[in-house]
Amino acid sequence: MDKEELKKAIYQLIEQSAGKKKYKQADVIKHFRQQGIPDAETKAAIRELIDAGDLIYTYFGGSYIELGEKRKGA
Amino acid sequence: MTKKYDTPLLDELEKGPFPSFVTEIKKAAAKNPMAADELGQLEKSMRDKVTYWKHGGIVGVRGYGGGVIGRYSQLADEFPGVAHFHTVRVNQPAGLFYTSETIRFICDLWDKYGSGLTNFHGSTGDMVLLGTVTDNLEPLATILSLNGFDLGGSGSAMRTPSCCVGPARCEWSMIDTLDITYDLTQEFQDELHRPQFPYKFKIKTVGCPVDCNASIARADLSIIGTWKGPIEIDQDRVRDYAKKGVNIQEEIVNFCPGKCITWDGNNLAINNSDCLHCMHCITKLAGALKPTPPFGAVILIGAKAPFVIGATLSWVIVPFMELKPPYQELKDMIRNMWDWWNEYGKNRERIGELIIRRGMREFLEVCGLEPTPEMVKEPRNDPFWFWKEEDLEKKPWEEFLK
Repeated sequence: MDKEELKKAIYQLIEQSAGKKKYKQADVIKHFRQQGIPDAETKAAIRELIDAGDLIYTYFGGSYIELGEKRKGA
Repeated sequence: MTKKYDTPLLDELEKGPFPSFVTEIKKAAAKNPMAADELGQLEKSMRDKVTYWKHGGIVGVRGYGGGVIGRYSQLADEFPGVAHFHTVRVNQPAGLFYTSETIRFICDLWDKYGSGLTNFHGSTGDMVLLGTVTDNLEPLATILSLNGFDLGGSGSAMRTPSCCVGPARCEWSMIDTLDITYDLTQEFQDELHRPQFPYKFKIKTVGCPVDCNASIARADLSIIGTWKGPIEIDQDRVRDYAKKGVNIQEEIVNFCPGKCITWDGNNLAINNSDCLHCMHCITKLAGALKPTPPFGAVILIGAKAPFVIGATLSWVIVPFMELKPPYQELKDMIRNMWDWWNEYGKNRERIGELIIRRGMREFLEVCGLEPTPEMVKEPRNDPFWFWKEEDLEKKPWEEFLK
């Protein structure tokens, strides 16, 4: 999976789980590790999604990754 | 600005002999509407015995997952000035040294972008700037960054590493706490700003076992300066202390946890091989006793405040580590710990709790550390290390009997 595909897959994972399950960064990394994606690649892809504002860090008793404001249209 | 709210309950808190935070909020309220409404909401909170703050949420600076703690008032209509009242953590300089110019810069900035209320320093070590609105966060972070500051840590991240003043102002310091803290802060930028752990992780460094920063109680990873050589004794100065009224037997010998000091009324003797390096005797007889090189640090793991299983102090995991730049051994060890914790830690489980759940043996294996006598939880009382069957065949204790 190339980086753009991976970013899209990560985004879809977060989007589809919105309102149902909150993912921590480690959860996302473990999820894609099961698909054979090296941890460092997932971490780098998350970083790009966060820097672009597609995803953001949120805090509710712990830190999670959720959809960014710009994609939610807020 | 005229007084906005009557605060009879808060006024009571100003009546003691010490400086009051209420007085300071009132001063800020005279020129800042956020501080004025903070005063009003606080009075109502005290009257109703209810906190009206919501904690956390979606608030931050682009690319950062830590450094801003979201605060929203549940009474935004009644107190609009505190509808948003976010806390900003600013990474403090190692040892908390500032020029007066720097402090003025921070205060002017906070008067402009926030409530004017600060908490120097928060318990996490950062400069804590209390109360600003969401729209001010990006410009604030940019200005801080342009002036050499960075946001601190919050959430499930490595928290801003902190340290004692170390060699800058203390004669006891055996490691360069300031350099270690700065170096670790630079090394672990990602872990500081991008929360990726099950929960918080704190690193505190102190220069000697006196532990002025209480790192043994407050840090997941405590780095405490220590020594390996014998304690040097100036017998004349010990006798001077005795002449001036120090009861050497009562105050030094009897207090020694290693039971390794003797005093015949004229000479002090220390059996250094039994010394537990608590430094009690050295600080009580300042100048008469002195630690000698090699200097390094003892590394401990696992302290935390009460939450899931109650308060815990750190355990020794490395009795002596030579700490010289670039501190690679320490950094590699920290990364190994984090990998293990990320793999097995439950949400909101500190590393010390994970060690208790899965066992110190597994933790030491993951970190590549050998068990040593210094890891005994209560010296001379209760070992917590359990040997495996294959260990017993190797007879590891024979090494310590040589």
